[in-house]
Amino acid sequence: MPSRYLAAGLALAALAAPASARPVSYAGGWTAMQENNGMYSSLHVHYSPTATDSIGLYVEQNWDMDQTFTGLQYNRLVRRWNAPQSQGNLYFKLGAGVADPFQGVEAEAASFAGIAADLETRRVFVSYDVRARDFGEDESVSHAARLGVAPHIAEFGALHTWAMLQVENHPDADEPITVTPLLRFFKGPLLVETGYTLEEEEFLLNWTWRF
Amino acid sequence: MKLIKALALSAALSMTPALGHTAPETSAMAEPGGGEILVANVNGLVCDFCAQSIRKIVGQEDAVQKVHVDLSKGQVRIDLKPGKKLDDAAIEKLIRKAGYSLVSVDRNVAK
Repeated sequence: MPSRYLAAGLALAALAAPASARPVSYAGGWTAMQENNGMYSSLHVHYSPTATDSIGLYVEQNWDMDQTFTGLQYNRLVRRWNAPQSQGNLYFKLGAGVADPFQGVEAEAASFAGIAADLETRRVFVSYDVRARDFGEDESVSHAARLGVAPHIAEFGALHTWAMLQVENHPDADEPITVTPLLRFFKGPLLVETGYTLEEEEFLLNWTWRF
Repeated sequence: MKLIKALALSAALSMTPALGHTAPETSAMAEPGGGEILVANVNGLVCDFCAQSIRKIVGQEDAVQKVHVDLSKGQVRIDLKPGKKLDDAAIEKLIRKAGYSLVSVDRNVAK
């Protein structure tokens, strides 16, 4: 396999399966989601025409490989379970666009698909995300999971704090398994996460703004 | 890394107004002798960040003067404008549009 394809594939494999954010907002809502970690930075700006669908721009820059993916991402809330003390969600995500690899190499069409699920109470949060990528000769799957606990249960409108642990598996990466302890804060329409990936020795900073 | 630092700074700056701002409950205080007060019992109310949708969706309704979400009780208190009405079907539609499930509506709740 030509090295440039392998390297590009690894870069696209670094299209993480972010377990951090619910990709569908309320009907008529806009959301901006930005993620930064040792492997990549991404921006997803989407509009939710309904409470079960959203579509928007997704851009990702891989720092190690200096490659960019630009495209559209569609998200579907497949099923939501609303219970008195909890909420569960199942999402489907689909993206298509262009991956722009090394200098001198032409950009190629690329796509990804994923499934995400989460379950939350006022005290505990768990999520799982799996994403499959198709970039020419490279086809790979990555996984991510989170477990979170709210040390203090705040009331509506106050500052909320969660302690979380994220575990990711990127089979083609130099470090296939990474662990990231992180803190999540949110108040009103703004959510911020900060953490540290132990294996990569890199900080994580994500934010989401709903408007 | 420069980009990460710039993005971190922008995130911190954008967070400052949100942290310093106590979000109003969608409108001015109820007038003396205000309208009907409803309490919607809602399932799925566990996340403040997501429940902001209720304040947005319900608060935009013409008949609504004020909205308050109580996560611990799973309730949405809706203060209507004087003379305005909102039937259960309309409330159910608003709650569903916000992404939640309506269980029941209590009417003429004491202030």
